[in-house]
Amino acid sequence: MDKKVKKEFDPKIVGFLCNWCTYAAADLAGSSKMEISPALSVVRVMCSSRVDHNLVLTTFFNGADGILIAGCHPGDCHYGEGNYYARRRYALLKKVTESLGLESERLQLTWISASEGNRYAEVVNSFTEKIAKLGPSPINCRSDL
Amino acid sequence: MNDTERSAARMRSPEGIRGSLHDFLKIAVDKGAVDSVLAPVKVPAENSYAWILMNDPAVIESASPVAPVMPVQGAKALKSLTRKGKGESRILAVMRPCEIRAGIELMKLNQVHFDNIVLVSYDCPGAVPFQDYVKDPGFSEESFGKMIASGRPGEENIKPACGICTEFSIVDSDIHFGYFGVDEGSAFVIPVSEQGAELLDAIGLDRDAKIADWESEISSIRDKRTKKRTETLSAAGERIKGLDGLINAFRKCIGCHNCMSVCPICYCRQCYFDSEVSKKDPDFIFEIAEKRGAMAFPRDKVMFHAGRMTHMSLSCVSCGFCTDACPTGIPVAEIFSYMADITQPTFEYIAGKNNGEPLPLRKFEKKELPLVHEIVKSAEGEEGSDE
Repeated sequence: MDKKVKKEFDPKIVGFLCNWCTYAAADLAGSSKMEISPALSVVRVMCSSRVDHNLVLTTFFNGADGILIAGCHPGDCHYGEGNYYARRRYALLKKVTESLGLESERLQLTWISASEGNRYAEVVNSFTEKIAKLGPSPINCRSDL
Repeated sequence: MNDTERSAARMRSPEGIRGSLHDFLKIAVDKGAVDSVLAPVKVPAENSYAWILMNDPAVIESASPVAPVMPVQGAKALKSLTRKGKGESRILAVMRPCEIRAGIELMKLNQVHFDNIVLVSYDCPGAVPFQDYVKDPGFSEESFGKMIASGRPGEENIKPACGICTEFSIVDSDIHFGYFGVDEGSAFVIPVSEQGAELLDAIGLDRDAKIADWESEISSIRDKRTKKRTETLSAAGERIKGLDGLINAFRKCIGCHNCMSVCPICYCRQCYFDSEVSKKDPDFIFEIAEKRGAMAFPRDKVMFHAGRMTHMSLSCVSCGFCTDACPTGIPVAEIFSYMADITQPTFEYIAGKNNGEPLPLRKFEKKELPLVHEIVKSAEGEEGSDE
């Protein structure tokens, strides 16, 4: 029974992708006909630092199994230093979710530049695999949140 | 601030610290060192206190600078006066250490401007829980009076947040009144900032007292408190950990958002959690309810508190107003203080310090702080892309 559920588990992952790099990388990966996990639903943001804590928490508490935040490599931000701020925000979010015991491993930050189409496919596929191993988010069976 | 040796003035009054502070307010206004005073005054019905901005000597006569309760965070009163920049008149504000620290955080958020404000703090014995005071003002006044007379911080009949407070004494104010462990009826008037020292000179208070004994008394009390705080908060952390713990902790939450509206740090004109965007479409809620088998209302209780933790725990000064305001008795302050004591050290930040440091989320390091780096290094990949 347990195995059957696991087999059928289809992770839902939300990705907040920076318009200037990772989103373009996703585009590149797609037009290069790379194999990319369909588990990831993309939300395009203008900068990784746009991803407010509430955005992530809303996504998580409404049932996403995994959340990926992706931006430009440090030093390459379109706006100069947005991703450095994003990094700090992510650190805080991770610390809070970890201290609350909220499976913070479902949250992931990564840097992918516009030319790294293959890296994009790699990251998405391995993150999907990781979430599939973790199983469905415990939020999804709670009706009393 | 001069760290090498602090010189202080000494004031005496038969009414102890309350008398000394009261005298100080009157002298400061009398001598024209400040234009007006912001301090708590007992309301006519005698069942609460209110922040009053006053310059009439008769009104100042009725001020109670050391009030037993904290109905409104002093930083909020300060914000009302200075949120658009410095005002015309010079104000002397007497506030508890946690109120001053919250004011400093608000200053970093551009909501309070200190240019024309002289902050006066005092050794705080703690405050009576507001509900207790409202129920029986007589008893509360009496027990608080005893607390002050003892010259030590209170142990009983104070807010839980006060019982584990480690910042009960000198903070980054302008002038501090120290009286813990000082002989009865006497208080040290300690200039903390240059502005404070100038004011003491202007009103002619000689600074010839030695305060080493007071300082060691404060640090010994602080050590005990720190121990108690760590114990209490780590126990709280254990209780709330995990989804079950969190749901249990906030099960009684009625979603009134009182904790947020009394919080000095939550200054946003509109909070995401009050906005239309946060209210999900009924169809969506039905869909989730069907998937999960049931649905409890109000929704998103845990999310609301987790969201607030990410938004204000870095600036939390553990003033305890949230617990005071919770109608269902959730120990909100304890939970938020637990989080604050984790997030602030991560960014090597101490809320309520006025040392020119901006808020942690408003700055960054290219090579991040060790604890931050520890969290983000997996994100940066093996190549370690930060320079």
